[in-house]
Amino acid sequence: MDFSILITNFWSLGLDGLVVGAIYALVSLGYTLVYGVLRLINFAHSEIFMIGTMTVYFVVLQFGFTGYEDPLPLIQFIGLFLLFALAAALVSGGSAVLLEIVAYRRLRNMKASRLSSLISAIGASFVLTEVFRIISDSKNLDFPRLINKDPFFTWGTLYLSADKVLVIVGAAIIFFFLNRIINHTKLGLGIRAVSQDERTAILMGVNVNKVISYTFLLGGVLAGVGSAFYMVFYETTKANVGFLVGISAFTAAVLGGIGNVKGALYGSFALGLIQQYTSAVLGYNWRDVVTFVILVLVLLIRPTGLFGEALQKARV
Amino acid sequence: MTKTTKSSFNLRTKFGDWWEGANSAQRTIFRVVLIGLFFALPMLNNPIINTPETSFYSVLFYPLIMFSLMAVGLNVVVGKSGILDLGYVAFFAIGAYTQAVFSNRTSLNFWETLPFAMGFAMLAGVILGLPALRLRGDYLAIITLGFGEIVRIVAVNTEAIGGSSGLTDIEGPTAIFGMEFTVNDPRPYYWLTLTMLLLVIWGVIRLSHRKPGRAWEAIREDEDVAEFMGVATLKYKLWAFIIGGAVGGLAGAIYASQIRSIQPELFTLNLSIMILACVVFGGMGNIWGVILGAVILGYIPEKLRFLSDYRIVFFGLLMVVMMNIRPNGLLPRQKREKFQEKSK
Amino acid sequence: MTKKLLEVQDILVNFGGVTALNKVNLHVNEGEIAALIGPNGAGKTTVFNIVTGYYTPTSGNVIVDGESVLGLRPYKIARKGLGRTFQNIRLFGDMTAVENVATAADSLNKSGLVGSLFGVPRSRRDETASMEKAHELLKFIGLDHRALQMAKNLPYGDQRRLEIARALALNPKVLLLDEPAAGFNPQEKVELGQLIRKIRDRGFAVLLIEHDMSLVMDISDRVSVLDFGQKIAEGNPGEIQNNQRVIDAYLGVAEDAS
Repeated sequence: MDFSILITNFWSLGLDGLVVGAIYALVSLGYTLVYGVLRLINFAHSEIFMIGTMTVYFVVLQFGFTGYEDPLPLIQFIGLFLLFALAAALVSGGSAVLLEIVAYRRLRNMKASRLSSLISAIGASFVLTEVFRIISDSKNLDFPRLINKDPFFTWGTLYLSADKVLVIVGAAIIFFFLNRIINHTKLGLGIRAVSQDERTAILMGVNVNKVISYTFLLGGVLAGVGSAFYMVFYETTKANVGFLVGISAFTAAVLGGIGNVKGALYGSFALGLIQQYTSAVLGYNWRDVVTFVILVLVLLIRPTGLFGEALQKARV
Repeated sequence: MTKTTKSSFNLRTKFGDWWEGANSAQRTIFRVVLIGLFFALPMLNNPIINTPETSFYSVLFYPLIMFSLMAVGLNVVVGKSGILDLGYVAFFAIGAYTQAVFSNRTSLNFWETLPFAMGFAMLAGVILGLPALRLRGDYLAIITLGFGEIVRIVAVNTEAIGGSSGLTDIEGPTAIFGMEFTVNDPRPYYWLTLTMLLLVIWGVIRLSHRKPGRAWEAIREDEDVAEFMGVATLKYKLWAFIIGGAVGGLAGAIYASQIRSIQPELFTLNLSIMILACVVFGGMGNIWGVILGAVILGYIPEKLRFLSDYRIVFFGLLMVVMMNIRPNGLLPRQKREKFQEKSK
Repeated sequence: MTKKLLEVQDILVNFGGVTALNKVNLHVNEGEIAALIGPNGAGKTTVFNIVTGYYTPTSGNVIVDGESVLGLRPYKIARKGLGRTFQNIRLFGDMTAVENVATAADSLNKSGLVGSLFGVPRSRRDETASMEKAHELLKFIGLDHRALQMAKNLPYGDQRRLEIARALALNPKVLLLDEPAAGFNPQEKVELGQLIRKIRDRGFAVLLIEHDMSLVMDISDRVSVLDFGQKIAEGNPGEIQNNQRVIDAYLGVAEDAS
């Protein structure tokens, strides 16, 4: 265990933690929103994210960048970014809606057991991962560096670069709009109503099927945007990228309190920071083990997470 | 006066009717003949059954009977008790690694190592189960998934047990009853596994017809109510894990001794999912169903080799489709109901 | 002095801001049929859930036959002598009737897995005992012709009775019945009343949650009334029927009671 790296790079690790946390947040919102309305963990949400990264890769591929050119001017980059982020949002969102119809809806109508829904979701997750693995020929797909990542501001060991700012600012904008949707629109009201009490929501005239579809759509769109940020920051993807990102995002949602939007945000940033700091001390290999340990600890000690309420017994 | 209900499979009902009516001698003869047939399977050499690329009896060993054994083990956890375990490969891996490490580092032979392989796997079941089984279904599933992955990551990162290169020069079992276990012939391993499978089947059926079986079913049906009826749910869930672990470890040890070298990539999440698919497809909770599922799902990708690359897609689709149209699998658990005239 | 088999002492239950039960005191005496009534949402099923250990109260105590069971897991409380049925029938649907009852009967013995696997004599005896008890209870309740039928295939009335048989298999000191007459026609309710008396005569005390006032008033020795999580009255059926507070709480109980 080496604490020296941790100490010297404390602030830059912190910044990276926030960046990673922002990406996780966008994905974990999908888990938490769907859990809120369905009381079900959407196991295949990680693949919705992966599909977003593939879309981003594909769109940029069309422009013929090889990765060896100079970075684009900022305005051009922003334009390109908006393009592929939008594409990813649409494709991920659409995939999520399709996923709900194919893997979940019928089981919901049949009032199938949770086990059945979970198995169906796992099956869907595997199909998607494998299909893309075959399409990508099991290769890592590298993303060209189109934004200038030279730090434009330094403070000790803290380096502020354009991509990090992009992610943090972009995520903040998204969260602002999300807040408006959840709290100031009819859809948001529907989501909150169904999350709290489905039966009463039905009696109040809420079209639950529609709310559920829109929830999946919203979760997918957020994951799609998150995947765009992911590609800019990490510059690579592969067919099973969803697995580790998904586990982290899910852990973040549970840490914050699954079903709770605010919780998903706080949990994500917290987890991002924890991951960066523990990687510095224990080494990168153990990052995912640490994530899992956190998941287990939270579920055992405080299953409702930081902000969740005991909506249902997580413990038996 | 009793009469039986019709089930959806007439073949199954007919067999069930015969079985009910058969006496002890008839049943024994049936069992002996059936078991004999299974032992004789490796002798089959028929173009219809034969698989391209590998010999049929090699396929019999892996995946057919190996998957069957693991499916029976996983069935106790998922099918009978309703606990979704997504990390079953962990027990398989622990059994295999124990066999490998003991083979390389100790002078114990396969038979002496076997109890350790099963023991460590059972211990893993307890370590995982004690915290995890208190959680509700979805969370439990994720934790088991994590466990499976952690075992693999630890194996990759621990040089002491071979790291990512794994372990080689694993010994095969020493000869027993005059039968030798050589590197090139999978048949003795098949017979060994078949014998173990029969023992496990015997044990599981015994337990199913008694208090443990009722407890597991009650837990699967309605865990809260099972508690209200005095069932110590945590204890029985833990036992399901322990049994599942023991069987997985057993399979892993035999596998390692046959394949003679193992690497962490052999023990992936995909394998957990494949075994789960066997259970789900074959018939959750039904021991014959899951064996049938294992045989079918193991055999098809071997027979239709072009399908092999798409094996996982196939399994995944299968899981989604099965849950939608026939959630209880090919051979659902079915009890034979009997109507009786009211005696009053 | 009559023995109190079940005591609920000063139970306070707060669920995230809502007070479900507010310092409720109840008891059930040996040999009696006690009833717990009150408008919907008064907290009656919550009392059952607290008493059987499903929830832990915010404060207060639950005593079964002189022993506190507070904080014990439900299966331990079941073994200490509380058997219950459920408002919405919760049988083990894919198990036969006799298996349903036997599962509960199993809880009375200490046989474990290893014993069952190897056919150890004690396990064999326990197995026979469980099955015999299950069959005997089914006969007692009038369902032995259904013994080998799947619980989910039974007609509604038989399902309700099967639930009772299952709860009885625990040899409970107090049998907790949660709306056992729901969905019954008047004739069935009369038969149910006779069954409950038969159960009491066999030595089980009964605590009954029920909405059907004629049934309650007919068979109960003592009635407690809950409203908004508080006990507002307790006494024999006659006293309760004439209690103004109770009448007000129900608004319409007068019609049912006649």
